[in-house]
Amino acid sequence: MTNEIAEIKNAFDNISKYLWRHKEYVNRLNVFPVPDGDTGLNLALTVQGALSNIPGNLPDNILAGEYLKLISDNMLLNSRGCSGVILSLFFEGITEVLENNDFSRENILKAIEKGCITAYHGTDNPREGTMLTLMSELKKKYSEIMTTKENPLELIIDCIPHLREILEKTPDMLPVLKQAGVVDSGGAGFLILLEGLEREFNSRKIPEALSLFAALKINSVVKNLLVKRSLRKKRSDTGTLVQNLGVGNITNARLHNIVHNVQQYLKNRTHNHNNKYQAREALIKDTKEFESSWNPDIRYRYCTELTVSSDKNIDSQVLREQIIKHGDSLVISGRGNTYKIHIHTNKPDSVIKDISLFGNIIFRKVDDMKKQHRNFISYDSIEYEKEQSIFCIVSGEGFKKILQSLGADYVYDYGKRKPSVKKLVDLLNSLKSKNIIAAPDDGDILMSLKYAASLCKANVFIVESKNAISLISLLMGKTNEINKTNFLFSDRINNIKHFIVSKAAKKSSVDGVAVKNGDFFVIYNGKIILSGKTLKDVAAEAINKLLNDESIITIYKGLHVKGNNLAAGLKNKFPGLEFEEYYGGQTQYLYYLTLE
Amino acid sequence: MDKRILIISADNLGIGIDQVPYQHFEYLKYPVLIGEEEYRESETYSAKWLLERFIKEKIAAKSSSLSRAEMTNLIEKNVNNYDLIIQVVMGSNMSAATFNIAEEVKEKFRERIPVINIDSRQVTGGIGAVLLRLIDIIKTTDDVEGIKKQAEELVVNTFSYYVTPDLNYLYRGGRIGKAKALLGSVLRMLPVIGLMGDDPEGVVVPVGQGRTYKQVNSLIINSIREKMNEKKADKITISIISGDESNSEAINGLRQELVSSVPVEKLVTGKLHLVEAIYMGPGGYGITVCMK
Repeated sequence: MTNEIAEIKNAFDNISKYLWRHKEYVNRLNVFPVPDGDTGLNLALTVQGALSNIPGNLPDNILAGEYLKLISDNMLLNSRGCSGVILSLFFEGITEVLENNDFSRENILKAIEKGCITAYHGTDNPREGTMLTLMSELKKKYSEIMTTKENPLELIIDCIPHLREILEKTPDMLPVLKQAGVVDSGGAGFLILLEGLEREFNSRKIPEALSLFAALKINSVVKNLLVKRSLRKKRSDTGTLVQNLGVGNITNARLHNIVHNVQQYLKNRTHNHNNKYQAREALIKDTKEFESSWNPDIRYRYCTELTVSSDKNIDSQVLREQIIKHGDSLVISGRGNTYKIHIHTNKPDSVIKDISLFGNIIFRKVDDMKKQHRNFISYDSIEYEKEQSIFCIVSGEGFKKILQSLGADYVYDYGKRKPSVKKLVDLLNSLKSKNIIAAPDDGDILMSLKYAASLCKANVFIVESKNAISLISLLMGKTNEINKTNFLFSDRINNIKHFIVSKAAKKSSVDGVAVKNGDFFVIYNGKIILSGKTLKDVAAEAINKLLNDESIITIYKGLHVKGNNLAAGLKNKFPGLEFEEYYGGQTQYLYYLTLE
Repeated sequence: MDKRILIISADNLGIGIDQVPYQHFEYLKYPVLIGEEEYRESETYSAKWLLERFIKEKIAAKSSSLSRAEMTNLIEKNVNNYDLIIQVVMGSNMSAATFNIAEEVKEKFRERIPVINIDSRQVTGGIGAVLLRLIDIIKTTDDVEGIKKQAEELVVNTFSYYVTPDLNYLYRGGRIGKAKALLGSVLRMLPVIGLMGDDPEGVVVPVGQGRTYKQVNSLIINSIREKMNEKKADKITISIISGDESNSEAINGLRQELVSSVPVEKLVTGKLHLVEAIYMGPGGYGITVCMK
């Protein structure tokens, strides 16, 4: 790796680390276009995705322009959310110019100009007061100061103070920001990204943003106080509480003003009732506006992102026309035969269907923004760390290890006691993931899981699996699909033929099969199919009955099996078959046997 | 075809050199390193020889990139006899060094002869399939731009699937790519990995895994059928199946399942070379399908 490439890599690593460190600050500013609180995470994932997908075996003589192009291509494929896609567009424009490996200050200006054009053109209905404005201002300022220094990186860093000023002005450009009392989250993220370019991270202290729940709670207390006064209700201690609030700690500009004005109102001892009434009504209106800016009607519920690739060049204009009817916040980035599409829509399936007409969908993701919004404004909001996780709920230490090794992100071993709704909510929230694919090993857990899914902070896709084998089946097969999409197909869970062996604790007759106390019996497809005195004979009879052209029998031993090598016994009876035995550790049944 | 065209590749085609139906074909042999010793494919040093040593002696082997000098010499030897040289090269993201050497050599001869370097985005049978289809293309055109364009289409329509019972061979060779996700299973699994021509990253990806050869063969055939749907392809123009001959039952099973489920214009049963055995490991086999 040349020094030049190492420097670029180092700069991007710094940016990525800096973004991760401050993603929550950016998340808390996220009110436009939808207050779903994920701008910081999306930007951090976009940059991290661009870096982590660069192949390790790069040629020694790769040029800086080629390396930047590689980052740009990966950024496009891994961009997340509206701001992430706009950032990837900006970077795409920049690298298009820098492919000529000319890093003179003049060429960098051309690159920034091209970046702006690409970002504006790729965004449907581009709005000022967003990160687009900061990109455009970077271009202006850079052009203005270009003759002052030779080093383009230093010039970019010199633009940062100006961009900070512009960021502070974004509420004047986009009314929704002013109403909500914040600067633009995408713009703030873009600025943090540039600040990350500096080796010294302490250049600016990033403000500790008040949590949105706390801000809304303060606003609500203030509003209720004013409403009560207007209804001439009996006075409580709330007035004193509001008067003693430290306004200096309220970082939200709008709320800061509201609280300050209310404190002035409360101090005002005037007897002019008319003036007082008008002042109070204006303040109530302010609090209501602030509240509604963070609780808008989310017209389009699903933030949908897809990457489409084709053998032929895709006409981006035709693609745009085909998709725009499905929603808003459309951003299309890419070139040639690969495009990334971001749109807010109520019909993600229709978007997916229409985009598939243009080529092969190599990535897709659907986020429920209403759910994210609920999380964002709640008192116990989760700071998402991951885009997607696979969560399995299973009985047995052995199965836990097997499922983890097959790629499950988290496996909860509940042993004998099935988890409560509260436990499931806690577990789902602890994953800190925006989307979770959740699968239990018992149908009895499904109801609680569904309820927990409705209460937790993530978008949960429940797989209606009913035993540990179906979880193995789910994770085997096409692993790629799980990584690329939120969706799983139910037929995936029934791919492995299997039966269960258990021991009767009392005499009974079920499904036409008589079972004596102490007998072993076999359950297949939810029904008892046979029973008998010895374990080996019962298992062998079941294999004989169910075997077609399978060649491997896998035995998963339960927790209560002691010193019994069933595999060796069966091997003698079926020399043509391969037997493998693993510890499952399940409490409910002695054995699971699969035929593959 | 008026132009005299030479095609150059290497001995990692997934087919025997005698299976290349083109007279003007030259190839280089990849160096294989076992400890300090360097080996090249020969009657003695074959894939079978290496796979047996893997099992019996637990040796480790690795390959090196093609030699710049050998590539230069090969072109030098032929430059006056041809009007155009086409090099079909292993995927640039699988071996950046080899592709770069090919590019440097192309540049070196720029004034003397046009050289087209085709980045196959493939290894083993994938390179073989691109090569065999390329031979069909140059029967219809000798226009440089025309060949380049058709070759590009060929590459993005070529897909390979490999069953590698022990992924550690690939891992040790530094080619595991995103298939790393399939390592470390508690259950004994048969991983299926792929090289997808339409993936611009051109690295090994995990396709899935199964417990039996029948399962993984079905998985591969289903993936091929899905790919055909995506590409709106009604047939496979060429398919190459090759692998460790000691696993002939699984290889035959795959061949039978392919012909019974998908229309295939030409099916070639290939062979592994010494260098390919390094990554495939004992029992490994693969299939490439070209849809263009």
